[in-house]
Amino acid sequence: MACLSDATLIAYNEGGLGAIAAAQARDHLLLCPDCRRAAATFRALDLILAKPVLYEPPPRLVPQVTERLFPAAARVTSIAAAIAASFVFLVSWIYIYFDFSSSSLVQALRLTANGTSGWLADVIRGITAIYNGAQAVAKALGALLRIVLPAPLGTIVALLALSSLLAVTLFRPWLRKARAKRS
Amino acid sequence: MMLDEDQALIKKTLRGDRRAFEELMRKYEKKIYSFVVRMVRNEDTAVDLTQDFFFKIFTVLDKYNFEYKFSTWAYRICYNLVIDHIRKNQAAVDSLDDESVTSRDLLESGNVSREDGFKALALSETRDYVWRVVDQIPLKFRELILLRYIQDLKYEEIAEITALPVGTVKNRIFKAKEILKQEMEKDGMLI
Repeated sequence: MACLSDATLIAYNEGGLGAIAAAQARDHLLLCPDCRRAAATFRALDLILAKPVLYEPPPRLVPQVTERLFPAAARVTSIAAAIAASFVFLVSWIYIYFDFSSSSLVQALRLTANGTSGWLADVIRGITAIYNGAQAVAKALGALLRIVLPAPLGTIVALLALSSLLAVTLFRPWLRKARAKRS
Repeated sequence: MMLDEDQALIKKTLRGDRRAFEELMRKYEKKIYSFVVRMVRNEDTAVDLTQDFFFKIFTVLDKYNFEYKFSTWAYRICYNLVIDHIRKNQAAVDSLDDESVTSRDLLESGNVSREDGFKALALSETRDYVWRVVDQIPLKFRELILLRYIQDLKYEEIAEITALPVGTVKNRIFKAKEILKQEMEKDGMLI
């Protein structure tokens, strides 16, 4: 009987021959050392191929994808900082262009607090304390702004810049995600 | 319907769970990257293509049909992505697929260390040698060997991914093994 072809040997190793063909191949292999050696080579090759040499991907591969697909939400601190900055500048601006020296609202609140007790008085004291703090900061910044931004146009530009900063801080994660999806 | 591990991760990802998709990527990155590197034979391109693959998977994840195995679906996307890239860069691939480049050239270039033949080499060296030869065989054989052994797919799955008849897939893989054996014989790697 002629020697078995490579294709037959490979199929035999994989159990891919029909019953009769497999029996014939087995009989031939018993008698033919060359075919036995070739079959053994294909078996060895199969074993080697079954354990592939895999490449190690660079460590940055997955984090880069993750970062682009799921950009981190804007950090609470940066949002708070942007809101606080905007608030202070807004109060400063109001302080420059409106006269709050009488602080009638605060006076009224103080009087109310004096006449009441319990949690309501505490709340009113808290509000007036915050107002006083903001007023102090605003007063200082207002003085600075008067020097730096004497014209209303300058103040508007400053406010627009702050609003943009706030918007970018808040919406950056969504903008980056949308960009990643588009690309 | 019972979900396997991959499908559970997909469900979580679709609900916006970032960690689930990260886990899915970690599970497949090595095999996908190895497949792509061996297909395009350039590590930088392979990094870009692997990342593109994960972006693509993420954007079409809502179209995944839970009745099918995720890996087969994902490998098909990966295969198409790589084949598209190769087609667009045909000239470079053609020159690399020159059949005159044999494992002997590789040995002489010093890329494969060889001592006294196949049996004298340690198993890891033999493995390195065989896989370097795989890297040199023509693409139409190489791609099937990679799908079969790196991605660990059955003939039927490979046929589905490559859109080839199962018989053709088998014949090409058999032919690829014959080529590998011939190369090893030429290099005196077999005793």
